[in-house]
Amino acid sequence: MTKILIKKQLMEVFSWIYQDKKTGKNRDKKGLLLYVFFYVFLFGFLAVIFYNMAASLCGPLVEDGFGWLYIALMGIVGMSLGVFGSVFNTFASLYQAKDNDLLLSLPLPTRSILIARLFGVYAMGLMYELLVMVPAMIVYFMHVSPDVSVVICCILIILLLSVFILTLSCVLGWIVAFVSSKLKNQKIITVLISLAFFAAYYYVCGSAGNMMQTLLLDPAGMADKVKGIAYPLYQMGLAAEGKWNAFLFFAFAVLVLFAVIYFILQKSFLALSIANKGNKKAVYVEKKAHTASIPRALLRKEVFRFTQSPIYMLNCGLGIVFILFAAVMLLVKKGTVDSLLMMFIGYEDRIALVATAAICMITTMNDMAAPSVSLEGKNIWILQVLPVSGWQVLKAKLGLQIIFNLIPTTFLIICVEWILKPAAVFVVLLPLTVVLFIIMMAAFGLTCNLKAPNLKWTNETVPVKQSMSVTAALFGGWIIVAAFCFIYYLLYKYFEVKALSFLAGLDVVLAVLCILLLKWLCKKGSNIFETLTNA
Amino acid sequence: MLKIERLTKIYGEKRAVDDLSLHIRPGEIYGFIGHNGAGKTTTIKACCGILNFEEGNIQIDGISVKENPLECKKKLAYIPDNPDLYDFMTGIRYLNFIADIFGVNANDRQERIHKYADMFELTQDLAQPISAYSHGMKQKLAIISALIHEPKLIIMDEPFVGLDPKASHLLKETMHELCATGTAIFFSTHVLEVAEKLCDKVAIIKEGRLICSGTMEEVKGDASLEEVFLEMEEK
Repeated sequence: MTKILIKKQLMEVFSWIYQDKKTGKNRDKKGLLLYVFFYVFLFGFLAVIFYNMAASLCGPLVEDGFGWLYIALMGIVGMSLGVFGSVFNTFASLYQAKDNDLLLSLPLPTRSILIARLFGVYAMGLMYELLVMVPAMIVYFMHVSPDVSVVICCILIILLLSVFILTLSCVLGWIVAFVSSKLKNQKIITVLISLAFFAAYYYVCGSAGNMMQTLLLDPAGMADKVKGIAYPLYQMGLAAEGKWNAFLFFAFAVLVLFAVIYFILQKSFLALSIANKGNKKAVYVEKKAHTASIPRALLRKEVFRFTQSPIYMLNCGLGIVFILFAAVMLLVKKGTVDSLLMMFIGYEDRIALVATAAICMITTMNDMAAPSVSLEGKNIWILQVLPVSGWQVLKAKLGLQIIFNLIPTTFLIICVEWILKPAAVFVVLLPLTVVLFIIMMAAFGLTCNLKAPNLKWTNETVPVKQSMSVTAALFGGWIIVAAFCFIYYLLYKYFEVKALSFLAGLDVVLAVLCILLLKWLCKKGSNIFETLTNA
Repeated sequence: MLKIERLTKIYGEKRAVDDLSLHIRPGEIYGFIGHNGAGKTTTIKACCGILNFEEGNIQIDGISVKENPLECKKKLAYIPDNPDLYDFMTGIRYLNFIADIFGVNANDRQERIHKYADMFELTQDLAQPISAYSHGMKQKLAIISALIHEPKLIIMDEPFVGLDPKASHLLKETMHELCATGTAIFFSTHVLEVAEKLCDKVAIIKEGRLICSGTMEEVKGDASLEEVFLEMEEK
């Protein structure tokens, strides 16, 4: 019984390989081969990155007699990637699985369901861990010329580490499930946890260089820290040197921890699975109704759509956080910015240009309009049957992106102008360019979506994460900014065009693009929207 | 109120609706019956302006759906067979959204929401997200949202599917009340007993073509509607 459930779970976890999520159909042989090839290439690429990282660490550390520290550090990297890669899957597959009710209603022991679910999480974590640990071990073996005992130990360490990743993922998943079963609004929790993960991820990426430098300069200091903070990892490192007593200690620690977590999960799995998913029944209290105009009502509807979907917010509105973060960093790191500005002595007019490009680049991370037509999905009939024109609906979709971009960007622009103190003319040109760019990108994203809408999705991750329009809006924005920078470079090189003239010219180009796109949306786009069907 | 003249809708090579003409007057309850895939939903969607059609003309209160769809939509309400509503809104938010679009003033909307939500026993659930609603609750919400702007024409596709017996009964009563005020109702159904008891007129469609229409007495004579329908289907 458990075997069948595990098979089902693994098929579900890895269905993205053989199934097209847009159509729900299995890929044909050619499509499957291409897809597998793409992912082999992607994973190979990532493995090469970790191989290079391992290669730069392994030699110096092994030479200094800190081979165990190398294994421990690569273990931490593998563990982080494994947990980061599988934690989003853990909560969903352990406690919010769509087939929970179905499986719980069948004559299956809860234990078998839990084991099958854990196996899915384990497989996901192992996949990510191997991306780090396989190249790490290859590099290690190249430096230490291992005997059979060391090789066996290392293989067992990889397997044990994957069990530890599973344990950590379960703990995080359990905390999320427990907290959200007590809270009314799970969406906020999902967004906050995801943001915390992103913040941690970017912090680690940002400080990785410094950490490596510190490590190579003072490996003994780092060794003491690891021994003190993460003693089991120290034992794991020693185990990789073929010390079996250290291996037994590490194995014992990992397995006992997993046993405890498994025991807790088994006790609470049923209760958490059938919990009311946090939707405590809200009591309706009749209040005085407030009316709104049609444009306002449509915009409000788009705002609800955005703020009620963590996936939509995290994938199409992450730029809001980055814009605010950039503004705060500008204020906090004023000294660093001032020293950077010294590089522009003699080219002061370029400061506004660089700032404009940077702000535009960040705003492209907000692309709410790009999946907004597809997101109507099976609800498309509502707007089509109501007495509103397609253009009114499209304006609301544009409005969402423009407003949610403009509010934080205004704060960033104020900070930029306060810190950088550009010439008076740039004080006007910089915000004008940014505003025109934001409008143009919103119109561009919406146009892309109207050209290739997908209303047949069953999971909203499809239009939000896997649609051509979102990809085009995000990367297209970066390409457009890069193209404008390149054009400025050429114009300066061959015609010595000044930044001011370029920015003024750019505004004209952006204004023309805005007019053209909005005109298309108003006429053809509106017609397309009014006749869309999900049948 | 609703005038369909020689409506033809073609999908590829198939004529889903072929040369169909119907006339629904104010205050009439008009039933539309036919087997699965006969062309009922296609006709209904064309009347609501959701679906383009190749030939013919549809007028609502004298206004062409093709030429002035927005004016037509202001006068009608549509309840689909499968009420896919905005899952991300609460029931009350959805009703307010629909009321805003139709420009229903605060007092009227409050009074109507109160009246119909109480009638369909949905008041206590209005603060709940629609995603937590059952099919029947969504159907009730779709019905309330259709009544909130007092439309002149109500078009319904299988309105009784998913409703509990009490809600079904209430809907039938409401339909009668609305007709008494001059509202026209055009609806499709597979429940022939309901059509027989409820409708003033009935139309039977087969493979896209209208095979019979008229007052209930004209269509069924002394037989039951079920017998007439089955006989016509076999021809």
